[in-house]
Amino acid sequence: MSQTITENMEEVRQIQPTPKRFGLALDKFITFAAVIALFIIFSIVAKNFFTLRSVLSLLLQTSAVTIMGIGVTFAIITGGIDLSIGSVIALSGTIAVMVAIAGVPIWISMIIGLLVGGLCGLINGLMITGLKLPPFIATLGMMMVARGVALTITNANAWPAPEGFGNLGNGAIFGTGPQFPGIAYPVLMMIAVAILFSFILSKTRIGRYTYAVGSNEEAARLSGIKVNRVKIIAYIISGLLAGLVGIILASRMVTSQPNSADGYELNAIASAVIGGTSLMGGVGTVAGTVIGSFIIGILSVGLTMAGANYFLQKIVIGLVVIGAVTIDQLKVRRK
Amino acid sequence: MDISEFEQMDSPTQDVILEVEKVSKSFPGVKALDNVSFTLRRGEVHAIVGENGAGKSTLMKILSGVYQADQGTLRYKGKAVIFRDVNQAYEAGIRIIYQELNLIPHLSVAANIFIGREPLTRLGILDEKKMNADAATILNRLNIHMDPAIQLNKLPVSKQQMVEIAKALSTESEVLIMDEPTSALTESEIDELFAVIHTLRNQGVAIIYISHRLEELRRIVDRISIFRDGHSVSTDDYSAIGMDEIVNRMVGRKLENKFPPKQNTPTTEKLLEVRNIVRTGLLHDISFDLYRGEILGISGLMGAGRSELGRAIFGADPMDSGEVIMNGQKLALHSPADAIKAGIAYLSENRKEDGLAVKMRLTENITMANVYEISKRFGVLSHAKEMEIAQRYVGELLIRTPNLVQVVNNLSGGNQQKVVVAKWLFCDSKILIFDEPTRGIDVGTKYAIYELIGALAREGRGIIVISSELPEILGLTDRLLVLHEGKLAATLTTADTTQEEILSHAAGLVTARPGNTAF
Repeated sequence: MSQTITENMEEVRQIQPTPKRFGLALDKFITFAAVIALFIIFSIVAKNFFTLRSVLSLLLQTSAVTIMGIGVTFAIITGGIDLSIGSVIALSGTIAVMVAIAGVPIWISMIIGLLVGGLCGLINGLMITGLKLPPFIATLGMMMVARGVALTITNANAWPAPEGFGNLGNGAIFGTGPQFPGIAYPVLMMIAVAILFSFILSKTRIGRYTYAVGSNEEAARLSGIKVNRVKIIAYIISGLLAGLVGIILASRMVTSQPNSADGYELNAIASAVIGGTSLMGGVGTVAGTVIGSFIIGILSVGLTMAGANYFLQKIVIGLVVIGAVTIDQLKVRRK
Repeated sequence: MDISEFEQMDSPTQDVILEVEKVSKSFPGVKALDNVSFTLRRGEVHAIVGENGAGKSTLMKILSGVYQADQGTLRYKGKAVIFRDVNQAYEAGIRIIYQELNLIPHLSVAANIFIGREPLTRLGILDEKKMNADAATILNRLNIHMDPAIQLNKLPVSKQQMVEIAKALSTESEVLIMDEPTSALTESEIDELFAVIHTLRNQGVAIIYISHRLEELRRIVDRISIFRDGHSVSTDDYSAIGMDEIVNRMVGRKLENKFPPKQNTPTTEKLLEVRNIVRTGLLHDISFDLYRGEILGISGLMGAGRSELGRAIFGADPMDSGEVIMNGQKLALHSPADAIKAGIAYLSENRKEDGLAVKMRLTENITMANVYEISKRFGVLSHAKEMEIAQRYVGELLIRTPNLVQVVNNLSGGNQQKVVVAKWLFCDSKILIFDEPTRGIDVGTKYAIYELIGALAREGRGIIVISSELPEILGLTDRLLVLHEGKLAATLTTADTTQEEILSHAAGLVTARPGNTAF
């Protein structure tokens, strides 16, 4: 067949398999450079910012936002959103604690907490694909329901968890005493989650389908991709990672906190958006979200250490979200 | 022959409203316009034709203020002008109507016409009465008959297009640019549009008319300018130039035939048997066979159920009853995935809306329907294999792209179509359903697509071509089905039929035919 067609065309061109893409590499470099620049600025402005202790604490504080940001990145790339993250964190954390209090071994209760997160994600996915609800509405409903369930089962009280429940959130490895407290488990989990889900998104079939569904849902369906299944998986990932953050936070506080993590979903969405994920779907990376959450993390830790109050932090982070998306829009328009 | 200079000297200057003199425009890596000249007179319909990438749209964007020329002069009503932005061109009286309509579906016709400058009462409230009355005046002036108070989305596309025209001309305007205005219209709707264009021309509006449908130009065009590779090749009175010559100048070489010689010979081996397909209200009891190596056409007027039939066989829309049998096996078609597994491919008429993921790369689009083939264990994708496959199809189908990871949005229409074909070849599809395979594709590339379709049939695949262009159906197919209002009106052998016969079946004019008592 190829010969017939070639005969009638004069030219056969040599095609470069991949182009030299300075442009794109530069974009990523700039975002990364922003993190470094912020870091350097705060090292100068804030005393004690550039110390091992504060870097370790920065990593620990940022781990929660990063993990849930990675989860919501999947939902956003399919063209959706997950507003239920904060409530799902509270629900899976409280259920894990309550189950542990009831005498279930701690590691099993934590797995149950994780599964509760995944189940919430599954329900979100089913509402979006089965009932055809807009993701905003489905996850808004889940946000309220999950919070309500968390408050109900705890009677709105903070119940102390059994001994040993706090190890996951407060433990560390390689610690050598007060000089070097070690790398906290949540930080290790953040690194593992980032590597695993970056791989899934960029190198596996489900990752490819996630982009395809977000880029053009109908084209994906007509290519035989089971669009509903892909969306459900994306919301399960978002729910599971919220569940993971839920047990980490419950473990750090060693109590069930039904009111915790209120509004965290917005930080997660912000970190994805700062990292270049498009709310229109089809665009985004795990690496971008990690960078985005670190920009938020460095800003809040840095501003605190530089003596700025909490309200100023809110203002600055809000401006960064607006600025990052503005730059993205300008790039699109320039093309 | 370049006779545009001669004409510029000869024509009385007051007739000329717009002159483009030696305009050039470059983008990084491309010279989109190179020394382009052309003149537009009051009260003429001036066609601009050329293949994709000839520079038509770049020139239109300069005329409407989206881009500015690097070199050369724009002379409007005798004065050299530069339109710095869209508003300046608009103020000057230049209107452009794009292929995609820019209207708000949930507002009334009048509200759409007056959007952004709604008349207000003294209290600052919308003056609906005045708006409707003024809209009626404007519509009347253009000989468009419709109720200004009706909600826009209750109108067919053709009427919506008229609203767009009315909106453009509701303020003082002298130049109207229309980009592919007929691409979504049926034959009778085109007649209506052309009547409006006639009215405008007689009122002295200068009209630039861009179209790929060369056949229709004959009916409205006064002069024609031909563009090729960023150059203006010629301007002629339409009556002084033949269709063959137009095509030759567009492609820059002789295209003896619009259709390649037949490559395929249909076998007598049934590949697909479609039995009694029903989709309530859309498809009524349709049965036909497709043979190995055959190209089967599906013809009919817009709304006759052409695409619906193709989509039903592909499992894209659920059918209410009926059977699809492939190689003697009944297929259970619940979704496109089932059809793809069986070896059926559907190439949608809207490449950008549902054929391609335009934000994704060429490689990713080619492998999209068969990602399993490039998967290793645990669903991990093989990048190397994907590149190898893309390289192969880019070579075989001569897809013009700077590299393999180009985002497909940046490819031309013809090359995008080839990417879609590559996607289905990679699935090793045995049956390919092409829905309007050459819509929005230039003449030269059309020929390549026709060749490709012929080659696919010769390899023993079964091809279904759904097309609204009768010459395409006649030039390409072995047999054809004619649909009329969701029913199969006729099954014809292409060699023994004529455009007239097909049209009379499509229009429902033939009330009885042998072997069918349903009519």
